[in-house]
Amino acid sequence: MEPSRSPDTLVTAHYGRLRRLCRLLLGDLQEAEDVVQDVFLKAHEAARFGQPPVDWGAWLTRVAVNACHDRRRAGGWMRFRFWSTQVDDAPLAAEMVGPADLALGAETRRHIWEAFRALPRRQQEVFALRYVEERSTAEVAAVLGLSAGSVKRHLYRAIRHLRRALGDAT
Amino acid sequence: MSRCLSDDALTRVQVQLATDAERAHLASCAACTRRSRRARHELALITGVLRDTPEPRPRPAVLRRRWMPAAFGLSAAAVALLLWVEVAVWRAVTPVPPTMQPQEVAAILADVSASLFSVTGNPAVSGTPIEIDDSRLTLDAMAHEVDSTLTGGEP
Repeated sequence: MEPSRSPDTLVTAHYGRLRRLCRLLLGDLQEAEDVVQDVFLKAHEAARFGQPPVDWGAWLTRVAVNACHDRRRAGGWMRFRFWSTQVDDAPLAAEMVGPADLALGAETRRHIWEAFRALPRRQQEVFALRYVEERSTAEVAAVLGLSAGSVKRHLYRAIRHLRRALGDAT
Repeated sequence: MSRCLSDDALTRVQVQLATDAERAHLASCAACTRRSRRARHELALITGVLRDTPEPRPRPAVLRRRWMPAAFGLSAAAVALLLWVEVAVWRAVTPVPPTMQPQEVAAILADVSASLFSVTGNPAVSGTPIEIDDSRLTLDAMAHEVDSTLTGGEP
């Protein structure tokens, strides 16, 4: 789809989206930015030395999800993160105002986030790609290497869990 | 008309896992259609929160504050309990050995002395009451007695 794109164009087009996806999967902005930088390094190497993918968006998403998977599996840093949360992690006021904020209270949002974090890793990935990234079921299946049916079952469990959390919170 | 769909069935419809009968019911039931619309709205809210809002900071500090007073209280209670056991209970149930009387000490010393320094190789005749001079029952007197026994009476 976009094999001849320059690295700068790729970064401009995908950096924000990948950072958001990685933050969602890792739960840590700093880690997410590190992962996204690694992903773009790999993209640069692929463009320069290997076969550039036909669909850069799907390729970048797949590499980013795998990188997040590896980071989470490595563990350790997550525990460190919970003990080292500093003032820097506090969101800026400008970041906090959005439509969802206006519609939901802080406690409800906290419930939703906690419910999302309580999901199994695969369900988090499927939900994030399908609804936050707004990819089709077939694309999610291709990125994660799952069947479409498996993606739907993961989605079903994830949505059921999250809706119950929302119902409990409201 | 079939029964209305459950929440789980509505979720199945959302992810395209519903059966033909469930989809057909949803198409024909206004109440289920409303609930399905509400479920989609809830899903949009959830997605919006995850996409647009920062993740709240974890609450280990709050949790720590909550259980720390309880931990301190329990620790203090445990220390107080240990002290009470040591002071009141343990000393009450532990038998204290009776203090020996000076006469008994002198008798034991005399027995030991007689056994150690017997000329015949036999211990002193048992059953023979030993004359105890109460005026010699001080520690100095006893020490002097032992010395004179060891040196054979020589200074």
